[in-house]
Amino acid sequence: MISLRNVTKIYNRDSVGLKQVTIQILAGEFVCIVGQSGTGKTTLVKLLIAEERPTDGHIEVGGWNITKICYNDIPFLRRQIGVIFQDFKLLSRKTVQENVAFALQVAGEAQTRIRDVVPRVLDIVGLWHKKNSYPDQLSGGEQQRVVIARSLVHRPKILVADEPTGNLDSINTQEIMQIFKKINEFGTTIVLVTHNREVVNQLRKRVITLHDGRIISDQAVGKYRL
Amino acid sequence: MISFFRVIQFALQDIVRNLSLSLMTILILIVMLLSVNTLFIIRVLTFEATQTVKNRIDVSVYFTPTATDEQIQTVRSLLNSFPEINTAEYFDRGQVLEQFRTTHVDNKGILQSLDELGENPFGSTLILKTREPEDYKKIIQSLSVPEYSDIIETKTFADSERAINRITIITRQVERASVFLTIFFVLVAFLIIFNTIRVAIYTQRREISIKRLVGATNWFIRGPYIVEAILFTIFSMAITSLLVFFVAKLLDPFVSVVFEKSNILTTYFISNILLLLSAQFVAVLVLTIATSLLAMRRHLKV
Repeated sequence: MISLRNVTKIYNRDSVGLKQVTIQILAGEFVCIVGQSGTGKTTLVKLLIAEERPTDGHIEVGGWNITKICYNDIPFLRRQIGVIFQDFKLLSRKTVQENVAFALQVAGEAQTRIRDVVPRVLDIVGLWHKKNSYPDQLSGGEQQRVVIARSLVHRPKILVADEPTGNLDSINTQEIMQIFKKINEFGTTIVLVTHNREVVNQLRKRVITLHDGRIISDQAVGKYRL
Repeated sequence: MISFFRVIQFALQDIVRNLSLSLMTILILIVMLLSVNTLFIIRVLTFEATQTVKNRIDVSVYFTPTATDEQIQTVRSLLNSFPEINTAEYFDRGQVLEQFRTTHVDNKGILQSLDELGENPFGSTLILKTREPEDYKKIIQSLSVPEYSDIIETKTFADSERAINRITIITRQVERASVFLTIFFVLVAFLIIFNTIRVAIYTQRREISIKRLVGATNWFIRGPYIVEAILFTIFSMAITSLLVFFVAKLLDPFVSVVFEKSNILTTYFISNILLLLSAQFVAVLVLTIATSLLAMRRHLKV
């Protein structure tokens, strides 16, 4: 589902994001990418959604060779990957419902399908009752659930979450992790980038540890070891 | 087609939900359009003023009483060949005498002396008006040849040459100043509109990059801004046009007192309405759209 072969990302002479990273992630896997700040976790996410291009190596996501993806094809790639960001990245002048619907609108989905799917997804994340609220009227946990709803609404095969619990308290973190587990059970491949030790240890899933831009361990059922 | 309607829907939604910024943008566009239109009014008034002064200048060619109709016709034919001449008004001897009598109707002494002469002492007169004051010199030079020295008594140009030269210089300077002012104001308007749109886009830079990350194509992101630019232009043009027309109507009575001509401003705006509206509309639209696209370019590189 996701394949990185000898991927290196160099920003400049003093800043190297990733060094010779090779990862194979199969369909339906739940993979945690862990590591301290500045070890290249976010660089990895940016490479997966083509926000950055690798300096060297080969990347394939969901059958797309995105190593040298054309600028105009990037939106089509992103419509097939659900992405969750630490800072939520919600559209502030759109309501909860509109934020979720936006992911379908950009893909040109019919209004009837949007009217059918959005309430169901919002119901799954428990936010249908707040459909007309604006992001700044929601708590951090609620905002993150809207982001999850937005990233799931077009039924992506891959969900990439970059520090999704970084701004949340432990209760909200547990709720979000439960949602992720459920999504994974439905067959969605999940790449969870985090430095939250508790989350990783509770999940008991595959853990890839990055240090200084390199993979230092890859365990099928791992723990946070740093 | 669905995307097109969504783009329009998003544009309208953005305008309403960001009402203060939308109103501020429209207000700035109106202020800029008003300043450009004020310059149009100044140019119209300057043009009228210089035309009024130019129209007051003429050159009279006085023929000798002995000049025959044939000789006068030769001179008139020569003058007709000059494209610089706007009007050439001819008064024969009888008309000149009649004019003299009318002018001095209250002066019995002069009229008595005229009667005592027993014959018409006046020659025919030709009053010439040229398009530009500086053209007079050329006309007068063509008449100052020995061939016509016997039939042309005097030419008034020599007396008013200095005044004409002075007026020519003044009108030219006024015209230059108004062109300079127009260019200056258009540049200021351009810079202000450019920066207003840039600031408006800058405040939305995060939204733009989020849309891109969610999978929107560049045109799906740009579309609402282009529609907004079109709507802002239409609103500002409509309001400005109404205001300018209202101000022109208000000023016309005062202007007509000065130039002895009625509805100068409203006539100008009505007769040039298509050109003025289309030129301003296209200029503002191109400027707002181009600025939006330029300002957005950086934020779309996600």
